[in-house]
Parts: sequence; structure tokens; C-alpha cells
Amino acid sequence: MNNTFQAPTIEYGQLAPLLLVFGAAVVGVLIEAFAPRYLRKSFQVPLTFVSLLGAFALILVQVFVSGVPTAPAAMGAVAVDGPSLFIWGVILILAAVSVLLITDDDHFVPQAAAVPGSAEEDDALAEGAAHTEVYPLVLFAVGGMLLFAASNDLLMMFVALEVMSLPLYLLCGLARRRRLLSQEASVKYFLLGAFSSGFFLYGMALIYGFAGTVDLAGISRALGTVSGQDPLLLIGTALLGVGLLFKIGAAPFQAWKPDVYQGAPTPITALMASGTLVAAFGALLRVFWVALGNLDWDWRPVMWGVAILTMVLGAILAITQTDIKRMLAYSSIAHAGFLLVGVIATGDARQNADALSGILFYLLVYGITTVGAFAVVTVVRDAGGEAGHLSRWAGLGKRAPALAGVFAFFLLAFAGIPLTSGFFGKYAVFAAAATGGALPLVIVGVVSSAVAAFFYVRVIVLMFFSEPAADGPTIAVPSMGTAAVVTVAAAATVVLGVFPEPVLRLADQAASTLFIR
Amino acid sequence: MGETITFWVLAVVSVSAALGLVFSRKAVYCALMLGVVMFSLAVLYAVQDAPFLAAVQIIVYTGAVMMLFLFVLMLVGVDSSDSLVETIRGQRFWALVAGLAFAALVGLAIGNTIVGPAAGLAGATQAAGGNVPALAQLIFSRYVFAFEVASALLITAALGAMVLAHRERVRPKPTQKELARARFFSGYAPSLPGPGTYARNNAIDMPALLPDGSVSRLSVNRVIARHDVDDDHFPEDAKLADAIRQAVEEEGK
Repeated sequence: MNNTFQAPTIEYGQLAPLLLVFGAAVVGVLIEAFAPRYLRKSFQVPLTFVSLLGAFALILVQVFVSGVPTAPAAMGAVAVDGPSLFIWGVILILAAVSVLLITDDDHFVPQAAAVPGSAEEDDALAEGAAHTEVYPLVLFAVGGMLLFAASNDLLMMFVALEVMSLPLYLLCGLARRRRLLSQEASVKYFLLGAFSSGFFLYGMALIYGFAGTVDLAGISRALGTVSGQDPLLLIGTALLGVGLLFKIGAAPFQAWKPDVYQGAPTPITALMASGTLVAAFGALLRVFWVALGNLDWDWRPVMWGVAILTMVLGAILAITQTDIKRMLAYSSIAHAGFLLVGVIATGDARQNADALSGILFYLLVYGITTVGAFAVVTVVRDAGGEAGHLSRWAGLGKRAPALAGVFAFFLLAFAGIPLTSGFFGKYAVFAAAATGGALPLVIVGVVSSAVAAFFYVRVIVLMFFSEPAADGPTIAVPSMGTAAVVTVAAAATVVLGVFPEPVLRLADQAASTLFIR
Repeated sequence: MGETITFWVLAVVSVSAALGLVFSRKAVYCALMLGVVMFSLAVLYAVQDAPFLAAVQIIVYTGAVMMLFLFVLMLVGVDSSDSLVETIRGQRFWALVAGLAFAALVGLAIGNTIVGPAAGLAGATQAAGGNVPALAQLIFSRYVFAFEVASALLITAALGAMVLAHRERVRPKPTQKELARARFFSGYAPSLPGPGTYARNNAIDMPALLPDGSVSRLSVNRVIARHDVDDDHFPEDAKLADAIRQAVEEEGK
């Protein structure tokens, strides 16, 4: 009998940002249980901000005081390395900005259990009821995102995937207006997400069958030592890939994105489109670079196909959209394709660091611009809530020149026009890909960027050069939070477009150590 | 020897239960068949030197998940039937093709891998100091963080269930008196007739008669009526038999 139990060592210092976010979420649940109804929001909002910003401060402390760790933490379950810390910082900033949008009460349903359109719903609305549970749920989702991007074994990654997804499935169904659409989005996301988790789990089991371990570094070692079981490895890789590509919304697993982005409450859409994408790319990079890095001859051709399909499909289908949120969803699909180009651009350590730095920078600038764009969408309203149809946006430039101008600027950043942050993001990724021998992909990327630019410009033309509709949407006076989000996003897009040097250098430094094993 | 016998007995039981699960039209039967499949799996695990997995399989799947299925079925209503109209043309055919192709791919590929003769778990379990202690070692040392983080999942699930299902009353619950008053003001004063109230038989399968001698349509139990029509088993009274047929026809529309 082996009775000696070695107590696990947990590096609490390195994991502090994670623990703070999860701890705040648990405290938020306790507030729901014990605080009187009228006080809850005034507890929850500061708690959420303090935890997100505190976690960000803890990352800064980690980087500048203790230095970037060189070994995985928590018995090898979590890798707090340069890329992880950068991604954590990005996720926390994006989450804090999205929470500013969430604090606007009127995005969420007053009582989720009331049947849509029933008298009870009206009563709850008149009573001023609100689901303040939204805040702890958001914190749980953010905690899951942080962990997903930093997990160092597949088991941890699967748990993190679920911790990240479950609150998001729920939050998607809580939109105040068009509730049936919102609930449909929630159910669709849940079913498809559960399905993709199943794929991930199946792939994990097959890879475990191949390598005898779920540790990413262990899998990488097993690639060189285990022979005769390649089918297990290849099918496992494919199934893992399905699970991860679903989360980033790459074609052909992109079908959920437009429906879910359209139905979800817009602040939650902003959180998903920015935070989830960043976290999922962190996890994708870790699996395909750390665990399966030596298998790149096998996965590279598939990834080429997926990247091309994603870019082309996203750009072309976006042209046919008539709803602003759906259009932004397809644009997000196209951007996932551009980012995948960076994932393929592997080579020697120097090349990997360049590609990684490009991806990290792209994730930051795309995330910020996306949150800003969705913040503008929340402000343009008509009687039924947000004015989603593009025809309603005609002539917006004449009714609200400032708002339309900011939105046009965000769209130009999506298109990657010089002097916006999007240009440098695309440039960093495509330059790394070109030196990494993926020139054809870069060409496809540039062509689909041009196609994408067409529909962004179409919206701009619609806003500035069409006559405003007689009964056009009203521009709601943005609350403090929304105004702050739009301002911050616009400022970041300008600053990173004109003077990207410091952040690029930061991304370079974060990427220079690559992922620890 | 004992393992072989157990395997062949359970193989027949679980495969036929799985087929029954797929082909049964009634949801409750499907759920029970699923229970049989899960239970057979648990026994197989136990025979294969994995007692912890067997116990977990019974507690979590057969116990919790199955009960959940049954609860949901009861909440939705046993007699509610799904709409079987397929909105995608040729869905069944293509699903079959894709499913078979995937099964062939996985089967061939896994059959293709070089796997040595089965060693069984007994040796490894012995070396690690027993099945449950070895698992405990792993869960509480190498995978302790994943184990702890799973609690976030449980909290989210509980919170989510509360958000989606808990209804806070904005107005006080109407009392019996208020309900009675509302019913009298609604113009339909008498309470609903119970089954068999004015019938000669005091049984739930007999439609009730109203004071004027006509059949109360509200008292026809739809589930029993459907069985009556299926089994061609009608009351002798033609009036009552007609009411049952009519209820089933209406439901069919």
C-alpha cells in the first residue's frame, strides 16, 4: 500500500488574478442570497469592477515585481507564462469595459421566469425588478476565460471551457426585448456548445489513449516516442480541433455565431465577441503549438483549408446581411479567419514569437474595437428596442453625426484602414505569416479584407449619404457607462492606430518567451 | 470464465436495450431503456476491476441523470407527443449516411492501431495501492485545481437554475375566496365536473353526464380515451362511446 500522500503545491501568488475573480463571483452569489433587493446592485457593481481591475493590478505586480514565471503552477495544471499574462490582461480589460455596458439596467430581462409577453412580465417591469445575478455570472465566465487560455493540461482546459461557457449560455437568454429570439439564441448556443464540448472530450480521450497523459508537454513528448497508434492521434487531434474551432467560430463551425450574437443582450454579445474569442485563441494556440507542435505537417493543411474557408465565408456572407448585429457577427467570423492565418505561421522559435506577438496584438485591438461597435449598437433605438435592421440606420450621420462618425471609425478599423489600430493588427499577423511561408494565405486574407471593406464602407455610405427615414430610430442618450465605453474604445482605436509602438513591444516581450511547457 | 459469461449476458441485454431506446416511441420507455444500458455498463466496469467507476456510473448516471430525465418527462407531461415533422428535406437519409460514415471511419481507424494484448487493470491497481486510493491520490494532488474549479461550475448551475426558474411574486397569491369570486363573476359559475360524477360507474374512464343528461366533454380523459380507441374498448352506452371517439378525433387535429 502506498500510503504517503504528498500535499500538492499551489502557487497562490501566480494564480492570484484567477482566484480573485472566482472569489469575487462567489461573494457576489452570497450578496444575492443575503443583501436586500434594493441594495444588491450597489454592492455588485463595485465588487465586479474591483475584482476585475484588482486582478489586472495583480498581473502587473506579477510581471514587474516577481517576474514572469518559468514553470507551470498548481502541479502543472496552469501555465502562467508571458502569453498567458498578456491574454489575461486583455481579457480583464475587455471584461471591465463590457461590464460598463452591462451596468445599464435596461438590457436585461426583469424576471427571466416570467413568460414573454405575460402580465407577470409587465408587473415585474413596473416593479423595477432586475436580475443582479448577472454580475456573478459574468465573473464566473471571465474566470473561465482566464483559465481556458492558461490551462496546461487537457483536463483543466475542458473544465475551464465549461466554466466559461455555462454562464454565457445562460446570459444569452436574458435579453429584455425580443425575448423569444434571445431564448432561441440561448438554446441554440447551449445545444451546439454541448455538442462541441462532446467532440472536445472525445478527442481528449483518444489523445489520452495515444499518449497516456493529458498533459500538453507530455503529449508533445509522446509524439516522438509512441509509434503505431497514429490513427488515434489523428482522429483525436481532429476532434479536439472541432471543439476549439467551434469556440472561435471558424467555418464550418460558424453557424451559431450570427444567431447567438443577434439574440443575446448586446453587452453580452460584446463580452462574447471579445473575451471568448481571445480566450479561445489562447487555448487553440496552446493545444496546437505546445502539445501538437511537432505534428504540424499533419494539421497545417487542414488549418489552411479552415482559415481560407473562414475568411471567405465570413466576408462574403457579411455582404448579404441586413441586421447590424448579424453583420458584426459575420465580420467576427472573418476576423477569426485572419487570426487563424497567424496560428498557421509557425516555424523556428523566432518565427513563432513573431506570429504569436502579431496574434496577441490583433486580439487586443480587435477586442476593444468590437466592444466599442456593440456599445454604439445599444444606443441606436426605436420603439421595439435596438434598431437592428440596416435600413433603419440610413441617414444616421445627419441625425447624430458624432455617433455615426465614431461607428464609421470602428468599421474602418475592422476593415484595417491605415491610421486605425486594425491596420497594425492585420499587418502584424500577415507579415508574420508571409515570412512563415504562408504567402497564399496572406493573399487570400488581403482579398477577403477588401471584400470585407466593401460592406463596412456600404454601412458608412448608408449612414452618411442616404436620406434619414422619416420615422427613423431615436438616439438614446447614452448612460455614463455606455458613453465611457464608446470613448475608451474610440481612444484606444486611435492611439493604437497612430502610436502602436509601446503595445507592440509589450506583445513582443510577452511572446518572446513563448509558451512554457 | 465468470467475466466472459457476464460479458455475453450483458452484451445481449445492453444492446437490445439500446435498440429499444432508439426505436421506442414513448419517451418514458426510452428513459427506462437508457437506465438499463447504463446499469449494464456499470456492471461491466465492476467486472473490469474498476469498482469506483462502477459506483459512480450507478450513482451519477442511473441515479441522478436518469431521475432528471424522468422528472422532465413528468413535467412536460407523459401524454404530450413530439411533433415528428421534419423541416429539413432528406434529413434522415443524410444523417444515416453521415452517421455510418463516421462510425466506419472511427471503427476502421481504431481497428488499425496496433494495440498489444490486454493487460487488464488488476496489475496497475495493485501497484498504485488500490483503485480508490490511487484515484484519490490523483484527484487531490495532480488534478486538485481542476477539481476545485469544478465547484465554480456547480455554483453557476445552481445560480442559473434559480435565475431561469424562480419566480418572485410581485402580487400576493390569490386566496381561495378570491378565486371563487373570480369564477362566479366569469359567468361560468359551477366548478368543473369531476370524472364520473353523474355516471353510473364511479370510474375515471367513464365520461360524466351533466344534469341535463348530455355528456360533459370536459370530463373525458384524453389519455384513457386514446387507449380506448386503440384497443377498441368502448362503454356500452353509445352516447359515451361517441364522446370518447370525438375527443380523440379532436386531439388528432
